[in-house]
Amino acid sequence: MALVSADSCIAELLTELHQLIKQTQEERLQSEHNLVNVQKTHEQMQTENKMRGLYTTAKADAEAECNLLQKARDKIAEIKSLLEERRIVAKIPGLYNDSKPPRKTMRRGVLMTLLQRSAMTLPLWIRKPGDKPPPLCGAIPASGDYVARPGDKVAAPVKAVDGDDQGILAEVVSYSHATNKYEVDDIDEEGKERHTLSQNRVIPLPQWKANPETDVEALFQKEQLVLALYPQTICFYCALIHVPPQRPQDDYSVLSEDTFYADSYPPPLNVAQRYVVAYL
Amino acid sequence: MSELKDCPLQFHDFKSVDHLKVCPRYTAVLARSEDDGIGIEELDTLQLELETLLSSASRRLRVLEAETQILTDWQDKKGDRRFLKLGRDHELGAPPKHGKPKKQKLEGKAGHGPGPGPGRPKSKNLQPKIQEYEFTDDPIDVPRIPKNDAPNRFWASVEPYCADITSEEVRTLEELLKPPEDEAEHYKVEILDPTPGKHYSQRWAQEDLLEEQKDWGPGQQLGKSEAQHEQPEDGENIISPMEDSPIPDMSGKESGADGASTSPRNQNKPFSVPHTKSLESRIKEELIAQGLLESEDRPAEDSEDEVLAELRKRQAELKALSAHNRTKKHDLLRLAKEEVSRQELRQRVRMADNEVMDAFRKIMAARQKKRTPTKKEKDQAWKTLKERESILKLLDG
Repeated sequence: MALVSADSCIAELLTELHQLIKQTQEERLQSEHNLVNVQKTHEQMQTENKMRGLYTTAKADAEAECNLLQKARDKIAEIKSLLEERRIVAKIPGLYNDSKPPRKTMRRGVLMTLLQRSAMTLPLWIRKPGDKPPPLCGAIPASGDYVARPGDKVAAPVKAVDGDDQGILAEVVSYSHATNKYEVDDIDEEGKERHTLSQNRVIPLPQWKANPETDVEALFQKEQLVLALYPQTICFYCALIHVPPQRPQDDYSVLSEDTFYADSYPPPLNVAQRYVVAYL
Repeated sequence: MSELKDCPLQFHDFKSVDHLKVCPRYTAVLARSEDDGIGIEELDTLQLELETLLSSASRRLRVLEAETQILTDWQDKKGDRRFLKLGRDHELGAPPKHGKPKKQKLEGKAGHGPGPGPGRPKSKNLQPKIQEYEFTDDPIDVPRIPKNDAPNRFWASVEPYCADITSEEVRTLEELLKPPEDEAEHYKVEILDPTPGKHYSQRWAQEDLLEEQKDWGPGQQLGKSEAQHEQPEDGENIISPMEDSPIPDMSGKESGADGASTSPRNQNKPFSVPHTKSLESRIKEELIAQGLLESEDRPAEDSEDEVLAELRKRQAELKALSAHNRTKKHDLLRLAKEEVSRQELRQRVRMADNEVMDAFRKIMAARQKKRTPTKKEKDQAWKTLKERESILKLLDG
């Protein structure tokens, strides 16, 4: 029953999203009109007061546009979190008689696509005037008492098949306050043993992307030592930043130690902001 | 209006994102009616496009705020000047409004002065504590004191780096950031005498010659004086190529060179660089005069004048550097302001610490007297503890 109501909830939210998007466009049309006026007045500036008034109007328009866009983004995040909850709930076997038992293992290709999508759709942190990037935005570490929630992705120092890596990509299952330990699952081997790790060894992955155009201090800089997910795998390796991202959708270019290339440095790899964390 | 020329606004080109080109999914969704709705699979691309629009809009907002601020400051400045110079009645209407908020701002800043003052005792507290330690040692072990001086000296040397930031320092930073009023004046270059003087290599060669003259005595003077005569001629001919008839020049130069003794010819080697340049331009002029080469449009005198070109280059470098410095100072000011607010929080934590210690002492005293602490004391202790926790959380968050 809960599944059905979740569906109708999602449908409602989608309708609201549509409305928000239409409102946003109206707002943008209006602000475009004002911006055209600003341009005209730039050319023939008669009195500074008129200019100031126009700037104030344009400012108010931009603020309204930002608010609406932010709301639309939040709506999308709400829909996604509902979908995610549904996925987690569906993983608990026996709860719904008519649902199929959860797949134990996913095909590698599907997993990689999912990882890529999750990296691409990581929300971008938009800086408001007077704000600064929060913990878990880009390179900013989590605050000291941060506790990851079930479903969050982390880098867990668990030895994988080959011994060179520094950790694997894992999903938090639960956290016990009494012992300060997390239970985590490997990202692609659900059903295999769960690992229990203490809180200070688990590194939460960033939850926002940092915008290189406005928040350079929230990005790792060239030559910094980091832990990065090797592309097409689920293992984290030590790496040096080669080129930080230039635009919000860009990836980091990193140089990793790789025993395969015995003689020379391996070529730089592209790793998304989501899968680069500080090396502690 | 002459003031328009000095207007410091940057007149950014405000264009909103062309959503038809950059955000196709967004455009498609707009075109649909609400019945069709949005599919779940479109959420990802929609999110990325909304983020693009959002980051462009927030950038526009920030730029607009900065421009409005510049406009307000500029108007304030103009308003004050007008107020001081003219002082006419009907003008007093507008400027005092700008003048008053400015004064209030200054007073606000001055109010911060006594605030960080109590922050200072932190460093002073360290030193008296160390000194107390010293005094207790004194009656026991007199000769040891000179050795224990190192920590004092260490803390004293580190103190300027760890001390709290005072509001004066913040104010100094803000003043450093004040708009560069007379920069335009600094960048003007007036050319008093466009004819270039002697090239420095020539001048140095001459000076060296004079020195050698002094060293070797008067015996060599005859040869030197000839050389000296040659140098000025060479100088004029080489550096100023703007003669009308190139041919007589060349013949004149040749005769000069023939009559030279060995020493000037040796001296000619350092001049080979300007020599070839002028030779090339003289050949060019010769060809133009002969009609074999089309005369190119002479560019502005800057390109002929090496010194001016260099000056312009350095000016451009300087401008870039000072712009870079301004952004760094802005960042520093922002960090300093954040640090000041954190300092205030730390100050409150210290006071909360003291209160907690007081409550602790009261309870310990009560225990010593073998009576249980009263409810009032317990409540107060809990209250101070909770207050301290909340301030610490503010500090961390």
